[in-house]
Amino acid sequence: MSHTFIDQNLLSRLGLLPIESRVPMMGNVAGKHRSPHRGSSVEFAEYRKYVPGDDTRRLDWKAFARSDRFYIKEFEADTNLRAYFVVDASGSMNFTGKGEAKIQVARRIAASLAYLLVNQGDAAGLSICTDKLHLEVPPSRRAAHLERFFSTLGKIQPSGETGLLTALHTIAEKISQRAFVVILSDLFTDTAALGDALQHLRYRKHDISVFHLMDPLEIGFEFDRPHRFVDLEDGTSIVAEPNLIADEYKTALRDFLTSVRAKCHDASADYQLIPTDTPLEPLLREFLTARLPKSKH
Amino acid sequence: MLFLNPLLLWFLAAASVPVIIHLLNRRRHKTIQWAAMQFLLKATRESRGKKKLRHILILACRALGIAALVFAAARPIVSGLIGWGGGSIDTVVLLLDRSASMESKPGDGLNSRRQIVIEKVRDAMTNLGSPRLVLIDSASKKPQEVPSPETLTELSATAATDTAADFPTLLNRAAEFLMETSGRSEIWLASDLQSSNWHPDDERWATARASLATLPQKPAIRVLSLTGSSAPNINIRLLSARRTGDEVVLDLEILRAEESRGTAIVPLTTHLNGTRTTESLSIPAQSLRFQKRITIAPDSVTGYGWLTIPADGNPSDNAAFFAYGPALPIKSVVVAPAGEAADYLTLAAAPPGFGNQSVCRIDPGQVSTLVTGDIASIIWAAPIPTGPAYEAMSRFLTSGGHILFLPPGIPSDNSFADLKWSDPTEAPAGKFFILKDWNHSDGPLRDGIDGTPISAERLRAIRRQTPLGDATPLARWEDEEPFITRRIVDHGTAWFMGTTPDYAWSNLGDADVLLPTIQRIIAAGADRFDASYLTTVGSDATQLLAGETRTRLDDYGSPDAANTAYQSGIFRLGERLLAVNRPTLEDAPEILSRDSLDSALSGTGYTLLDQAGQANDPSLSRDVWRAFLIAVLFFFVSEAILCLPKKSHPQVLPAKVTV
Repeated sequence: MSHTFIDQNLLSRLGLLPIESRVPMMGNVAGKHRSPHRGSSVEFAEYRKYVPGDDTRRLDWKAFARSDRFYIKEFEADTNLRAYFVVDASGSMNFTGKGEAKIQVARRIAASLAYLLVNQGDAAGLSICTDKLHLEVPPSRRAAHLERFFSTLGKIQPSGETGLLTALHTIAEKISQRAFVVILSDLFTDTAALGDALQHLRYRKHDISVFHLMDPLEIGFEFDRPHRFVDLEDGTSIVAEPNLIADEYKTALRDFLTSVRAKCHDASADYQLIPTDTPLEPLLREFLTARLPKSKH
Repeated sequence: MLFLNPLLLWFLAAASVPVIIHLLNRRRHKTIQWAAMQFLLKATRESRGKKKLRHILILACRALGIAALVFAAARPIVSGLIGWGGGSIDTVVLLLDRSASMESKPGDGLNSRRQIVIEKVRDAMTNLGSPRLVLIDSASKKPQEVPSPETLTELSATAATDTAADFPTLLNRAAEFLMETSGRSEIWLASDLQSSNWHPDDERWATARASLATLPQKPAIRVLSLTGSSAPNINIRLLSARRTGDEVVLDLEILRAEESRGTAIVPLTTHLNGTRTTESLSIPAQSLRFQKRITIAPDSVTGYGWLTIPADGNPSDNAAFFAYGPALPIKSVVVAPAGEAADYLTLAAAPPGFGNQSVCRIDPGQVSTLVTGDIASIIWAAPIPTGPAYEAMSRFLTSGGHILFLPPGIPSDNSFADLKWSDPTEAPAGKFFILKDWNHSDGPLRDGIDGTPISAERLRAIRRQTPLGDATPLARWEDEEPFITRRIVDHGTAWFMGTTPDYAWSNLGDADVLLPTIQRIIAAGADRFDASYLTTVGSDATQLLAGETRTRLDDYGSPDAANTAYQSGIFRLGERLLAVNRPTLEDAPEILSRDSLDSALSGTGYTLLDQAGQANDPSLSRDVWRAFLIAVLFFFVSEAILCLPKKSHPQVLPAKVTV
């Protein structure tokens, strides 16, 4: 693992923190995440009345002694988690202002979380989207799979317009079982359509986390002279006096962020606005801690 | 507006620096690859309008602030007088009206118009950086260098006089002076625009304009109009004064302002040979003409006196001066063949009871032997003279005598002073020639001093001869033919009257017309004997002859020794005794119209400054750099306020980033 976006020290420090799912997962093997089905874990789930055909070994004799009725004792089933990292590879992700390039931050986050997931026995998959390209790395639990994951991440060359919405809808349709969908993008797309895509994922009962990547320069819009702004996606340009339009710009940006946050909230998605100059460790630590069940805090 | 440091105005170009910097900044933009284009496009769309206007205002404030700073440094002088012309003035030629009317005080001040305008010119000159000032006053008409504007109020050449002004002459003098002067010059005319001082129809204006046009550098002309309302004023003037025996008969007129209403009681004080008496005069209207007889001692050979009214809005028109000499008998001569007409004429010339009047009748043939030195008037009821008689009458006329010609009754082509008689004409049977109109204010048929008209409409004529030639008609028949005409020749006057007091001609002998006509013509002829004691300021009679010195005899007012020649009063010039009054036209209220002023100064591009004579208008010009400094502060403070960031910036980052 010689990729520049992987910080071994960071991974070792974060290794003690598990990545928990907020919703029950439907894995194909046993794991450490809750399943909607009953199983054979040590976690008691509920009692139910005995019906003929049930395994008599699971009868709760103590309950029979107390109530003179037959009850079956059920336990939670634990399963593994499949995570899909959706990385926006549009041209705008290539922007580098005061912080790192957004795509680089996306790589670091995706790689770190994927490592942690595989390390705890979960599967991690990758989906890279532009308007012309939708490259996927299917999720896998194998450690060897990580190298393919990282390699694909490293090869991303952001260009063109975003294909995020299409990718999200595709993932929502394609993945039949519940999964953990991590979106890494600057979300420069139509917020209403984004809300629809998130609702689509939500409908499919996926656990969604949105890492909204923005450069501090895009947020602060602090310039001291006129600039020619060239669009990273379609190449159009505009000459503007930032001092004159700063207020309007910030107002538009604030409206956009508010709208995106509201859409994420409506879809029960985790939303994190990540200025690209933010140190990654506290960010991920907070993210992971926030996902822990309350009893494990 | 004028600038004391006009060269600094080149720095006005610096006002464009903020704009240039702005444009350069726009051109020298930096290119940046940008991702959040959707917000940029939206912001650009929304920032058009108010933001752009704000930015333009900021730029304008910066440019105007720099411009105002440059203006302040250039020391601007602003005034209605100077207008917006740029550059400094090298020479100012001040044409100052020192006429008697300039002593009137405006309604809102205590000083006269002359004093006010002098002070304003002084202040304006100081503000202009004291360029060369040359004064041409209306009394002396001579250019005079003024060493410092501060001395203007102290100069005797700016003091009050009782003279009249003559602006065509003054402007010509100014043009002559500027012929020898280089640099940028201006001519300032300070006047109350009294029409009689400007002579707007005078041909000398054309000369003055031509002279100005030929100057190497055309001077700017500023007219400091000193018109406007005046303080209440009453003036007194002497129309005539003559001695009749032991009395001095004074024809006087008191004038009030045209807007005066009601009856005014004016105390009239008479000073005569050291004694003083006061009486009250009731003036029911705007003017009052009256005759005052002053009894003098029988043994008084010569004497003088003056009449005064109280001080008012114009102190220079409150006195009328007179002087008298020995009583002379008034002699007249009737040149006519014996007959009814001659009888009536001699009777009218010396009626019974007029002890100091005498008349003799002579035949036309005796005229060449006539000694005319002491004759007031000649009444000529005979064919127009020719030969020696013509020469004698011409001499009499040019020496100031008055001749009244009456029709000879025969056709003749002879003329006198280019006037002659038409052939005799007769009225149709049963009809008369009747006078239609006559001059009520001038001529022998004028109304009496108390306003009583002559009953000239009673004149009926059946025969007449019409005076022909270029003369002033003073009375006309119903058919518009002239009845009485007048032609002034040198100091004398020739009168023509179109009928005779003969029953075969008219009822002129009834005395309604004949007596006042003859008496007034004789009185006019006799005036030249008394007139040697009366004159006006600035007339030839006031000039000193060789060996004469001027001594003022009266103690009225506050005589100025340096301006004695330009003041009214009683003077002894050598052996001569003179009562000098201000020119009658100085009492005329007529103001020059704007059209007349335009006509007089056409082509000069003159500037008229109204209200220069108002006391509440502090100055003709002001140094206004402070105002520009305040403007600098204003613009830069405005720019700073406009540049201030808004109090509440849009909060971009949400308070909580994790949902």
